Amino acid sequence: MKTLAMGRALLGRELRTAARTRSYYLLGLAIGGILLGLTLGGGGAATGYIPTVVDLLLPLELLVPVVAIAIGYRAIPSDLDRGEVAMLDTYAVSPATYVGAVYVGRAAVLSAIIGGALLIVGLLVALTAAPDTGVFATHSGVDSPILFGRFLVLTLLFGNALLAVVLLASVVVATTRTAIVAAIGAVLVVVVGGEAAILLGVLDGVFGESTLQVALGLVPNSAYRGLVFETVVGVLSAGESGYASPLVSMGGLLLWTVGSLGLAAGLLRWRSG
Amino acid sequence: MTDANTTDTTDNTDTTDAADTTDHTTPTAETAHASSDDARAPVLSTTGLTKRYGNHRVFEAVDIDIAPGAMTAVIGPNGTGKTTLLKMLLGHIEPTAGSVSYNGPDVDRPMGYLPQEPAFRPQFTAAETIDFYASLVPAAVDTDALLAEVNLSDARDRRVSALSGGMRRLLAVAQAVVGDPPIVCCDEPASGLDPSMAQRVFGSLAGRAADGMAVVVTSHTLSLVEAYADHVVLLHEGGVAAARSPAALCERFDATDLWDVYATVVEPAATGAPADSGGES
Repeated sequence: MKTLAMGRALLGRELRTAARTRSYYLLGLAIGGILLGLTLGGGGAATGYIPTVVDLLLPLELLVPVVAIAIGYRAIPSDLDRGEVAMLDTYAVSPATYVGAVYVGRAAVLSAIIGGALLIVGLLVALTAAPDTGVFATHSGVDSPILFGRFLVLTLLFGNALLAVVLLASVVVATTRTAIVAAIGAVLVVVVGGEAAILLGVLDGVFGESTLQVALGLVPNSAYRGLVFETVVGVLSAGESGYASPLVSMGGLLLWTVGSLGLAAGLLRWRSG
Repeated sequence: MTDANTTDTTDNTDTTDAADTTDHTTPTAETAHASSDDARAPVLSTTGLTKRYGNHRVFEAVDIDIAPGAMTAVIGPNGTGKTTLLKMLLGHIEPTAGSVSYNGPDVDRPMGYLPQEPAFRPQFTAAETIDFYASLVPAAVDTDALLAEVNLSDARDRRVSALSGGMRRLLAVAQAVVGDPPIVCCDEPASGLDPSMAQRVFGSLAGRAADGMAVVVTSHTLSLVEAYADHVVLLHEGGVAAARSPAALCERFDATDLWDVYATVVEPAATGAPADSGGES
């Protein structure tokens, strides 16, 4: 049977499972509530999209990893515990197809939760902000819904990169009981550890200006922050901001995503003999 | 998968059927040609199959032929490698030495598998679960017929989370035979089930065997093995201690039933123990 058809069947299973998981709806409501509360409390909504982005950037750096862990930590270990991965092996489903389908399914859930909440926030800004934010423009000095759209897309890229890291961590431990610890540990190491390493590197003079941009782009949180500064917040000011290299940052997020998924599939193949 | 799963075979022993000359105290001397009293060519064969974990030997030089259209039961005390052997047949565990060769038809799904504690996504109904697995094979699958075969028609629209342990196992039996694989391997299919449910699971598998499928089960429930299996492979002390049809084993060991055979080979001191062949060994 074709790999694509198998992947489609597995993806359908993931989406159906997600649609019937009540806790995902509760998670979505909670995230939506928190982001709306922060938007209204921060006062950015009345001013425009960019002030809202500034209000939400730091909270999202904390909330997105939490959502990625909640959605991803037990997806594969549960299938392993139930013996479903071994059963699927008899249908010649390759580990790469399986991991890919699980990832895409969970990424859709993460995107629906985070993206849905941010869309509502964007709608709120559109209804309450000053009139000039209604201009659809991307040139310097003008706040715009398009900039908020960029912010949304970058947030989803960041979340889905962390989701891939969580899936890899869950395959490493392979049991539901330890998967949550592994997922939290992996995200802490990647996010906090990465930023701490960069900070130490700067303090020790290891990083120059150009190497610092590369290092920042290779840590998911820094890459996300850099991309938001460069392509959303920085657009308001004229000239190059020089916060980060968008190319390296985008490459860093993609590398974490593809690398983690590749390692997860390889590890699963090795585990299943 | 297990075909072309070939490794070092230097540990091989003579594969001729040595049943009549077997010494009970040297179990590895016996080879387990499950199809020895069957004219049909085996669909699965192991040659010199050996598994060691470090210095610990699980079993050594196991030769088994799995015949089509028959149920082959692998029995033996805990820790003798029944599950390991089954997983090696499936290709889920690499042997330390020896090989497994698949000689059946060239199909997309040569083997089905029923794990020891099968479970499925709790959000799905029984029918949806089978539909999902059916979508992974090219052949058309009649979900309702499969569910009827394992007596789950009434539960077709019930979610997996609402099924009893026995019903989940029956659902797993249906999953194992999706697409009619030539071989189906079942790891303790009756474990933890009440007697009638256990009988139902074995009955369903025996029906499949009667239809031409090669069914391999591991089990501790000797009464069911005696009632339903066509061939029995008794693992003990790192090898095949005895292998024949239940009746032939009883005749050979001058035993009243399979439990008697088991006790003679595995627990010679307990041969006088109550012959409760229906109980867990």
